[in-house]
Amino acid sequence: MRALTPLDVIRVPAPRPDETYTHRCFDRVVKFTGLKQLLGTADYSKAGDRHAGLAAESDTARESARAILSDLTLQHLYDHPLTDNDGRVDSVMRVSYDIDLGIFGEIAGMTFGEFKDHLLRSGGAEIKRVTRGLTAVMAAAVAKLCDVHELIAIPRKINVPSTARTSLGAPGTLSSRLQPNHPTDDLRGITLLCYWGLSLGSGDQLIGVNPAIDTVDSVSRVLHRLDAIRRQTGAPTQICVLSHIKTQMASLERGAPVEILFQSLAGTENTNLHEFDITVDLLDRGYRLMQERGPLKDIAPQCMYFETGQGSEFTYGRHNGIDMTTCEALCYGLARRYDPFMVNNVTGFIGPETHLDGMEMIIANLQDHFMGKLLGCPMGMGSCYTLHSDITLEAQQMVTEMLTAAGANYFMDVALNTDRMLAYFDTSAHDNQTLREVHNKRPGAEYLEWGLSRGIFAYDEHRNVVRGPTWGNPRQFCASDEEFDELWSSTPAMYGLDSAGPRPANAVSRETRLNQEVGREAIHSELRIDDLNRVVEFRSIVTGATSKESHLSSPSRGAQLSAESAASLSAEDHTVQILVSDGLSSEAVHHNIPDLLPVLLDGLAGRGISVGRPLLAQYGRVKLAEPIAERLGAQVVVHLIGERPGGDAQASRSLSAYILYRLTDPNAQQAAAAFNGNPQIRCEYTVISNIYGGGLPPAEAAAVILEKVGDILEHRAAGNRLESLVKG
Amino acid sequence: MAERVTLIGLDFGTTTSSAVVAEADVLRSAGTGRTEFGELTVRYRSEMRFTPLSGGEQLDLAQLETYLDDWFVAGNVRSENIFGGGALLTGLTARRENAAALVELIRRRLGDALIATADDPRLESWLAFMGGCAALSRFHPEQPVLNLDIGGGTTNLALGLNGEVLDTACLFIGARHIRVEPGTYRVTAVSRYARAMLDHLGIPSGLGDVLGPEERDAYLELNIALLEQATGANVVADQTIHELVTQVGFRRDRRGDGEPVMSGGSLTYTGGVGELIYAHAAGLPWPETTAFGDLGIDLAQRIVASPVLGPDIHTHRPAFAGRATALGLMRHSTELSGNTLYLPRPELLPLKDVPIFGAIDVAVSLEHSASLLDLVRHSARGGCLLVRLDSTAATDVRETGRRIAAAADEVSFPPDRLLVLLVQHNLGKALGQYVTDWGKRPLNLVVIDEVPSRDAQYVRIGRPHRGNVPVSFYGLNDV
Repeated sequence: MRALTPLDVIRVPAPRPDETYTHRCFDRVVKFTGLKQLLGTADYSKAGDRHAGLAAESDTARESARAILSDLTLQHLYDHPLTDNDGRVDSVMRVSYDIDLGIFGEIAGMTFGEFKDHLLRSGGAEIKRVTRGLTAVMAAAVAKLCDVHELIAIPRKINVPSTARTSLGAPGTLSSRLQPNHPTDDLRGITLLCYWGLSLGSGDQLIGVNPAIDTVDSVSRVLHRLDAIRRQTGAPTQICVLSHIKTQMASLERGAPVEILFQSLAGTENTNLHEFDITVDLLDRGYRLMQERGPLKDIAPQCMYFETGQGSEFTYGRHNGIDMTTCEALCYGLARRYDPFMVNNVTGFIGPETHLDGMEMIIANLQDHFMGKLLGCPMGMGSCYTLHSDITLEAQQMVTEMLTAAGANYFMDVALNTDRMLAYFDTSAHDNQTLREVHNKRPGAEYLEWGLSRGIFAYDEHRNVVRGPTWGNPRQFCASDEEFDELWSSTPAMYGLDSAGPRPANAVSRETRLNQEVGREAIHSELRIDDLNRVVEFRSIVTGATSKESHLSSPSRGAQLSAESAASLSAEDHTVQILVSDGLSSEAVHHNIPDLLPVLLDGLAGRGISVGRPLLAQYGRVKLAEPIAERLGAQVVVHLIGERPGGDAQASRSLSAYILYRLTDPNAQQAAAAFNGNPQIRCEYTVISNIYGGGLPPAEAAAVILEKVGDILEHRAAGNRLESLVKG
Repeated sequence: MAERVTLIGLDFGTTTSSAVVAEADVLRSAGTGRTEFGELTVRYRSEMRFTPLSGGEQLDLAQLETYLDDWFVAGNVRSENIFGGGALLTGLTARRENAAALVELIRRRLGDALIATADDPRLESWLAFMGGCAALSRFHPEQPVLNLDIGGGTTNLALGLNGEVLDTACLFIGARHIRVEPGTYRVTAVSRYARAMLDHLGIPSGLGDVLGPEERDAYLELNIALLEQATGANVVADQTIHELVTQVGFRRDRRGDGEPVMSGGSLTYTGGVGELIYAHAAGLPWPETTAFGDLGIDLAQRIVASPVLGPDIHTHRPAFAGRATALGLMRHSTELSGNTLYLPRPELLPLKDVPIFGAIDVAVSLEHSASLLDLVRHSARGGCLLVRLDSTAATDVRETGRRIAAAADEVSFPPDRLLVLLVQHNLGKALGQYVTDWGKRPLNLVVIDEVPSRDAQYVRIGRPHRGNVPVSFYGLNDV
């Protein structure tokens, strides 16, 4: 067990005032104030940093920043710890200063330019040695000076193996985490996805489920199932359910097989504390609990798993003015404290507000892998995308080829790239096998032996590992075809098992891709206003987003009314107003409004509740209901808005109803403030989601909404406070 | 959100009785969007016990009550926690004089929501198919599957296609119509059906006699001929005997396309005799001669040897043979409703034994709707109508709801009379709102949605569990 250095023992220099850095670029002098600005400008420009005002305004400005950074010494960055908004060194920054000071002493006088050259000139052993003296911010600084070849060539020289039940990350291997997520944690669906993944030779790193339901009961049940699958199939691997660390610790204390303890990390203490509900102290306790009670404690030197990803700190507004790459490096600095079994990013998961297109995502992933390896983490990669960004499958496939060349330890296996729970797209077992074949890689040694014994793998005449006769056949793990059938029918987005070489058969790829593009089209298509006006005659209003692009990349704009629309709306004598907007799926509006709105209007009339003429907004976000409620003086706004599509064409038609209750009544406002803890609270929301033919049908949704509106008006409350009043 | 519920299946057969207790998730299917039970985890499986008799032909109620006590303790079950499943008296047990007293005893223990019934042969056939063969049938979606659930007293036949039962029948043919001393063929009991068959064959043997090989052959061959005839084979047994042993026959002998029902189909077996057949098919030796004190082993051997009944036993095997009825009860006798119901007065639940008077679809006339509501109006405990809509379109639910409302007005439907509507689609609230004109029309209305439309005489509806209610049908219709 690694001894955890107490935080107050870690030496961190006292923060100093920002310095001004200047660079002469031909006839211009470029100035930067403070390291945060300098580091932000030195990076490849990405959406999150642009929105945060940290990205370079021009390519020459970026090169000036890189030139300055190249001439700064490692000692300079050491002496200038980045602080939070209160000028404090937070706990995450402090942990990253837990370095080998002797080694740091050897390299402290190097400039970053010299240090990068040293990494390029050195072999793997020397790189691993000197990087023990690096803080997280230093790793980020070097990454910003590297071009694509360098981001690949330097980590390629380092191996960071790790060991739990099995040993992974050896040279020449490429592993995968099987990610059998299911939208309702249906054990049958999870089982099927495990069987398929194992039959495709994936899951040697881990079988790890992101649960839909984060309770001790549910998480324990999934863990016991994964344990049973591991035992039944004999696959040499380890298991994990990626719930919140507190849920896993409670599950472990109740006897569930928590073999590997997982947590998502952010690079600032504020994000970790307020958004992820974790502290360094909690992580320390989790680590110690695993050493004392983890089921693999006697055989596994490593037991922790962390996920990270560029941009989470910025999207929560808790990045402390630090750019996305540097925040990401701080995550690895924190992960390093616990000698983790595995670490991977999921950069690309958030959307266009952090990474707009394929190039931004590719660069970010190469940086993440580079920094993680430099900081000693056994790095896997979750290179991924959502449909509302401009990142596509092609960009994702390109970066995985590069990352395999760079020596990534593992990728995710999300069956047919389509995560059935998280509505995003990641690598698949087919991708991983393809990468193994293209780059001449093998799975981990114990898993390879198992795969050979089952015929999933075989040796060819040159003793290369090739696909065996049972590769890709999940039926091999089922007692009967009927059992397989039952599992199959419980799993959405299964477009077929046929393969062609290491790839899905063309027919399977075509259906997968078509479903994906229907989802993307639902986001990118425009509202058909004329068709909607045939359902009811709407009043059209305009938001602060002037185009689809600005709507998708800047969530706040769609939550505002344009000045003109704001001026056109004034107080009306109606209790309820109805607002329809596209949100992230116009198709959701087109498919549901014709059956929903007439029933809702029938019901409001039937109940004698006065309602204004419905409003229709293009490029709207959820909180657009708030200025509408204020301007029109409504007590309740029913906001019908398209949800973010995943990979299933049907589900891309899913609509939500956000029912806003405006707290104009002083008693209700006080009660809401007491309930919520925010004294300024102005409105509450009740949400009804998953409205579409395969979920809650729109006509029934209208009756449910009507009932909720009645409850809201009667109890003068919405959201959790309403539920507690109705129950009480 | 997945919720765990407890399900129970109690099967009191001619020969043996048993209990199964399971837990299941209630979740929304990612495939169909319907609320359904997820994977079932069997928590307790009792041993098979002989169904106890006292004084010859009466059920030993005191002994049966101790069985129930034992099973509830061993299965860690409390009646208030049971969400679904039920109890069934089958075969000859259902025809014992004091069967009704056992049903009452079980009802007291299980509560009102679950079915506890005797002598419901079509339900038994349906349950055995669903418990044993549903997965197999779905796996061969084009091929009819005829399952014969052969127990001690009855053979329950169910014809299914793609996991759904199309038709059912029941014969008084089983292992235990002639009981013998184990290891011999010395007769210890003969049922009235076996007596009639022996008489028909001119075999005078009775209590205390040993059945010789020729007598056994003749008796068993008659049983086989009756089974073969029932499967649609071109075999004609004696008409009088055929009528005597037929409790209920198939309702149709032709499929919708005019073909004989079994054309191209496969035969499967469940029940005690089914278990023996598949143990043999798996290569196990037959048990010792009359090891169970009846002719079950002999019957199984002759089924295997029959060119009509035997050919499919190696290719089509039910998932469960031995406890198909108990498993079917537990897994399939309870339907899960959706969770957006029209239920302004939840205290009305549970509802037991609500008679079903008919069905209303989109095209049905106001006149017919009114006549159905009139039947409910005259039923002291109210009644249930099945509402069959083609889609979830707003126009369908609005028009159908308004038509039911108009029909209720036309027959002056009393405001306190219970009216239950069952609808397959997820539209319970919307339909209820249109029928009551958004709560303004005084009606004692309950609308339960996402329930399959089943051709039955009665329905039971349990208490809500996180918004879903258990719904059980029984008294499956004869015509």
